[in-house]
Amino acid sequence: MTMLDAIATDLVLLAKPALFNIYFAIASIPVGFVFAIFMALGKGSSNPLISRLCRGYIYAFRGSPFFIQLFMFYSLALAFNLSVWKPLGIDWIVLNPLILGPAVLALNTTAYTANILHGALMTVPRGEVEAARAFGMSRAQQFRAVIWPNVIRIAWPAYTNEVVFMFHATALVYLTLPVINDQKDLMNKAGELFERDFNAFLHYPIAALYFLAISAAIFFVFGRVYRHLMRHLPKPPAMRFSPRWMR
Amino acid sequence: MVDLLPQWLQDFLGQDVLFWLGYFTNGKHLSWYASVQYTLAAGVLGAVVALALGTLAAAGRNSRFGPARLVGGIYTSVLPGIPDVLFFLFFPLAFEQGMEWLRAQAVCSPMELASGQWPPCTAANLLLGTGEYLILAGVSLGIVYGAFAGNVISGAMNAVPRGQLEAARAFGLSPWQVMTRIHIRQMWVYALPGLSNVWMLLFKSTSLLSLLQISDMVLWADRLGAPNFTRSAGLVHPDWRWGYYLVLLAFYILITFISEKVFAALTRWAGRGMATAGAV
Amino acid sequence: MNKLVLAAATVLALFATSANAQAIRIATEGAYAPWNFLDDAGKPAGFEIDLGNELCKRAALECSFQVNEWDSIIPNLVAGNYDVIMAGMSITDERKQTIDFTTNYFPPDPSNYMVRTGTQIDFNALSGKNIGVQGGTIQAGYAETTFGGSNTIKAFETADQALADLNAGNVDVVLADGSYISEIVAGSGGAIEVVGPEVMLGNGVGAGVRKADTDLRDKLTSAIDAMKKDGSLDALIIKWFPDKAPGPIFAGG
Repeated sequence: MTMLDAIATDLVLLAKPALFNIYFAIASIPVGFVFAIFMALGKGSSNPLISRLCRGYIYAFRGSPFFIQLFMFYSLALAFNLSVWKPLGIDWIVLNPLILGPAVLALNTTAYTANILHGALMTVPRGEVEAARAFGMSRAQQFRAVIWPNVIRIAWPAYTNEVVFMFHATALVYLTLPVINDQKDLMNKAGELFERDFNAFLHYPIAALYFLAISAAIFFVFGRVYRHLMRHLPKPPAMRFSPRWMR
Repeated sequence: MVDLLPQWLQDFLGQDVLFWLGYFTNGKHLSWYASVQYTLAAGVLGAVVALALGTLAAAGRNSRFGPARLVGGIYTSVLPGIPDVLFFLFFPLAFEQGMEWLRAQAVCSPMELASGQWPPCTAANLLLGTGEYLILAGVSLGIVYGAFAGNVISGAMNAVPRGQLEAARAFGLSPWQVMTRIHIRQMWVYALPGLSNVWMLLFKSTSLLSLLQISDMVLWADRLGAPNFTRSAGLVHPDWRWGYYLVLLAFYILITFISEKVFAALTRWAGRGMATAGAV
Repeated sequence: MNKLVLAAATVLALFATSANAQAIRIATEGAYAPWNFLDDAGKPAGFEIDLGNELCKRAALECSFQVNEWDSIIPNLVAGNYDVIMAGMSITDERKQTIDFTTNYFPPDPSNYMVRTGTQIDFNALSGKNIGVQGGTIQAGYAETTFGGSNTIKAFETADQALADLNAGNVDVVLADGSYISEIVAGSGGAIEVVGPEVMLGNGVGAGVRKADTDLRDKLTSAIDAMKKDGSLDALIIKWFPDKAPGPIFAGG
């Protein structure tokens, strides 16, 4: 078998596993984004209890490894299985890795995204908010028409990085949760292929190629959205393809 | 361990407390506590390598030498596109196999080399233990996060106001003096917040050590918490894992907390005498 | 960068070659009591540790045990991280394609199903059930081919994790070695019971070695044969697996 054949074979074998990583990302990121909006508003809330709770949540999730969060939530969910989930009849939902994985991912991205959004909230030009208030806008109107458009424009580049990181974090899901039937993600499958012929130089780089390609695709799409968000400017700033990999 | 306590203290604590005290200080738990050293060692080694590679990469990206710019650019923009865990698994494997391939060229017969077996002959085998894997783990974390650090440092180099450098040159400082006394000296203020971020990411990734068969905190927590129904294997207990994982989470959050304090102090120190908003 | 790699390579080579070439490193999983587990002191213990030490004594080898996760235990043997696997590993034709085995030191042992006490399972028409196995075991292969289509097979990294999920009701039934299950049932205080038919899988348990290490394999095999003959292997099995008493298991054969 020539090298090109081997690469092509691997590309095909890893295509379906890649879908699992994409699924994990798609199932968690939008949910996390919505939660994060509330969490960010909560962090900036004038109510000290709400603010403290949100700060604590964000600190705890940003301060600890996702790998261990996954382990912990799985065993925690397991501990309540017979007493809570089973009687409610939802044990097959709660403990399903295809649900639990994205759920923990969502909890995690909520914290990171909330931090980004909160940072952006703090930098919304005060004058614009005051102008909106002077216009007689309600608080909801102020948020929708003035604050939010500012926040999303400021936060978007950082959020793009967060989404790519979240996609990378999907690699950890099936390293911790039990694998059901033959639902293997990129990491499992690359590991399985490696154990067959010990060719580390083939299987892992091909898996890496999938991650790179999908990361690039995320950048492309989010870059397009950014241009759309910035369409009011005479020359929309191009989002740097070589990103500031910051979280 | 509990036997070492004086009798009056044992009486005071009572049987239950003594039992649990004994349980949490048995050899298994002591091994768990001791395994913190692996996590810290990998984190520190990774940080040193990351800082070194990051500096090199930033120098490469900002250099006038085309190939260096290319290598630095590819390193800092491609490597972060791969999950750290993937590189973490790949690099030690690839490094070991690469070394074994080199050895095989020297020690194996041509026939064995042509056999297509891996490894070609037993003599080429490298025997790696925890120590070597720990080094490889630290280095691979360093390579991954060196790319992040490279981005931070090169950004910080560019963030130093041009006027400062021009003023230094106008004062008649040599290029080397401008570089070390003004450019790099001021660069730290801009780089430290980003480097703090990279350090936190890197340290959180040390939770992956067990994937390289290093008996780290995660592995021990898993072993200690797993249910045991076999009387010959110690205390019979159900699944206690989530409690042990909670301790791990608390440990990492504590390290994050300490790191934040240290970096805040460092930033103040690096910014002494500079008129920036961050340093008061 | 290049220099760094070179330096690291030198350091690594120094480390690696300074490792005592005579010493035999035995890998075990340490999570499969009473076969092998970590005792309260955190050291490997159990049937296979006792057996391994005895075998090494008889074969005049210097041995040490180390712990390796089950799912990478064969790749790491082949990669040379250790020389022998003693981890309750059944001798199968599939594994023989990658590694070599000594003669068996535990006879072919039926696999059993265990459930939470009171669970009704109809093994003639098993469908819609969650079946827990340890990934990469003969039981995992059997469960996939036999029940795969209409049931959910959950593969766990360790047998303990499968047990935890069984205990918490996340799987309905676990298929594992009978010798392992009988100890679980005895220690569970009535919470776990054995149900259904026994399944005969594998050709007994042996020690795994690299294919090239024929010398080591033969040394261990003859030591095992000697222990079978003089009855000391039977005694060791009965010590760790009281269910197997009174024997004879191997003695005289």
